Amino acid sequence: MIARALIALAVADFRERVRRPAYAVTLLAAVGLACLAVPSAASRWVILDVGGYRGVYTSAWVGTATALAGALWLTTGGFYVVRDAIGRDERTGVGPLLAATSLRTPTYLLGKFLSNFLVLASMVVVLAVTAPLMQLARGESFAVDPVALLLPFAVMTLPPLALTAAAAMLFETVPLLRSGVGNVVWFGVSMAFLLAGQGRNAPLGGFGVRQAAESMRVAMAEQGIGVRAREFSLGLTEAKEPLRTFRWDGFALDGAFLGGRLLFFVLALAVALLPVLWFGRFDPARRLLGAPAAAEGAHAAGSAQEAAGRPIAEPQAPAVFGAVPASVARLGRVFSFWRLLAGELRILAQGLSRWWWLAAAGVTVAGFVAPEPTMLLPLAWVWPVLIWSRLGTQRVEHGLDGLLGAYPTPSKGLLAEWAAGVVLTAVTGVAPLVRMVVTADWPGAGAWAGGALLVPSLALALGVACRTHRVFQVVYLGVWYLAVNGVAAVDYMGVVRSGGLPAGPSPLVVAAVALVLVGAALAVRTARHATR
Amino acid sequence: MMNKTPLQGTPTLELEHVTKVYKGGKRAVDAVSLRLGAGLLGLLGPNGAGKSSLMRIAATVTRPTSGKILFDGTDVVSRPNALRAVLGYLPQDFGVYPHLSAREFLSYLAAVKGLSARSARRRIEELLELVNLTEAGRRPLGKYSGGMLRRVGIAQALLADPKVLIVDEPTAGLDPEERVRFRTMLSDLAEDRVVLLSTHIVSDIESVASDIAIVARGRLLRRGAPEELLREVDGQVWETVAGPAEAAALRERHVISRTLRTADGVRLRLLSAAPPGGDAVRVTPDLEDVYLAVINGSAGRSLRQAGAGAGR
Repeated sequence: MIARALIALAVADFRERVRRPAYAVTLLAAVGLACLAVPSAASRWVILDVGGYRGVYTSAWVGTATALAGALWLTTGGFYVVRDAIGRDERTGVGPLLAATSLRTPTYLLGKFLSNFLVLASMVVVLAVTAPLMQLARGESFAVDPVALLLPFAVMTLPPLALTAAAAMLFETVPLLRSGVGNVVWFGVSMAFLLAGQGRNAPLGGFGVRQAAESMRVAMAEQGIGVRAREFSLGLTEAKEPLRTFRWDGFALDGAFLGGRLLFFVLALAVALLPVLWFGRFDPARRLLGAPAAAEGAHAAGSAQEAAGRPIAEPQAPAVFGAVPASVARLGRVFSFWRLLAGELRILAQGLSRWWWLAAAGVTVAGFVAPEPTMLLPLAWVWPVLIWSRLGTQRVEHGLDGLLGAYPTPSKGLLAEWAAGVVLTAVTGVAPLVRMVVTADWPGAGAWAGGALLVPSLALALGVACRTHRVFQVVYLGVWYLAVNGVAAVDYMGVVRSGGLPAGPSPLVVAAVALVLVGAALAVRTARHATR
Repeated sequence: MMNKTPLQGTPTLELEHVTKVYKGGKRAVDAVSLRLGAGLLGLLGPNGAGKSSLMRIAATVTRPTSGKILFDGTDVVSRPNALRAVLGYLPQDFGVYPHLSAREFLSYLAAVKGLSARSARRRIEELLELVNLTEAGRRPLGKYSGGMLRRVGIAQALLADPKVLIVDEPTAGLDPEERVRFRTMLSDLAEDRVVLLSTHIVSDIESVASDIAIVARGRLLRRGAPEELLREVDGQVWETVAGPAEAAALRERHVISRTLRTADGVRLRLLSAAPPGGDAVRVTPDLEDVYLAVINGSAGRSLRQAGAGAGR
């Protein structure tokens, strides 16, 4: 009975997800990832680099490289794909229906965990199907060994993904982590997890990098290649020259390693079941799920309010609906862009707590006294990430599409929304700008201006196109992380310096990209309107 | 058939052979033609009849697959702003920004509409008074009840003093007293404006609509003044008291308009072109009878013949 309910729950949830258009995009991303893991022989962009060497593209190497790349990126990115299993049940109203059945909470949580894992596993299947095609396409070895090819996916990719599936469940049941804050926290947690998982002494064997690396070193030594001081690098990096090759036929699995893999699953089950202790089964009175999405409609408003556990509105005197207002509704002589901008700013900043503002003010004040003008700019421009991610999504999120669809000048509304984002970006990053202007650091101020245009443009474009906060949050955090770690090519803020000057792309290029993104947002919304 | 000619200077909205086919082939609206002048047209139909699709199309929110929509002669499928500037639209379901107050929300919408600041301020105060939310106007909308949000929706529809008012199931969430007052207000507004009201509640329409259209399965089945529609089922509505077995048999054979269990048996009101037998007596039809007759196609030839006049 329990098993049947569990499977039914997982399968229904899985079906619901895979029938959404976004699922096809995630599978395409998996194909892209598999292609990236097996770059052409002449490429300098590589995923797996053993001190300037890579394996000949045999089944063992292709399988291991693709499986490790999958483990690396799906562990972080997969979280954003699968989270929302419980949130969707709450939004759609299916959750309360299930809560009124005899379904036990552990079964519900396990079902959702299983569904999360199935979605991630389906992406791994795509990787595993693409891998032999890449092996044949690269043409260095035409002997396809299914075991050597597929085993790495089972022992290297799936175990950490089970933890990702469980973490997504856990985050959804903790009120603070359930919001956009959880997306940011996961980015940090997964980065730490990825670094730890690649280490020599990684708990539970990590991703299995140590086993693979040691076996590769042995193979290299046998082939007369010096292995001292050769570092094993996993992750997209640019090598100085195309990698040389050596022959590697895979590594042997031992009992301890396989035991560690199993422990991953056990740990994942424990994490997924942990919320049994506090999960409120969609009972608004318990509120441990946090407030649900804001009222989606006039009909939903009452129930949303009840679901939020807030006191129902005080009894209100009935509407008069007497004489229709006599005043004339005059159109403004000039289109009221400033009032529209004020409205968009109010909407963008709605619901922000005073703590948020206090922290933003603290970062600004600190920015004025920091030793270097741009020292705190990365902090100032990561703090509003959850607010920027509202750009382009709020109409859909709050169910205003139908209402505003009948209002004139939709393009001006979008531009006002973008301008509100620019204002927010400029205000939060004002301290470094003032200091750069005072010290006549015009290249720095120019880079700052490019960034101030780019960030809200990226948020708006991704928000309008994807209609969700998550995509921007993930993309932006990734780009920000690279910039903060000194990758000049993506430094949109001007914080990576070379000879005292910003080493990143020209502000004009950044501004041009920003304008292209705004144009794309406008085009997407206009096209949606035209095909409404 | 009544044939209204719009007064000079009053707006006209025309839907010509409007069809909407959604992805997957679902034909929500099927070749509907309607000409609307000043006055209130009540759109009646069962759930899923295509009323909301038709309302969204008329409000320029949804683009028709084929057909034309003309506002004062201008094609608003290609030039929607010509209608949007003078349109008040209240969808069946709509959202709000939950952390904004009613006043802030309406100010924002007034700016989107392009109203001048002074005009917007005055208008918003008047409308909040109209919907009796002046006191609550400073509270965040997320704390409003469903009925209060509906009133905010009504206020936004009237923001720009619209020439065309399209309201979809507007009375959901209003209490009975408010419903009556709202209907009266709509009736007043319809004096010199196009008002299109959609509902599946017959009583919402019968007291105010001088013109009624009945739709089902995306098609316009009937259109006419209430008295015209009533005339078409005159003599076809019956009441009888029957025992349980006989009542079951009557339910099989006829469209039942009302059922009431009494001490003498089951009192049934039913539609039938011929006397249904027993002690059935002919009664005066009401709009609910007309609606059921049209939807179930049980009003026979007379209705089908009259159907030729639909879509004036």
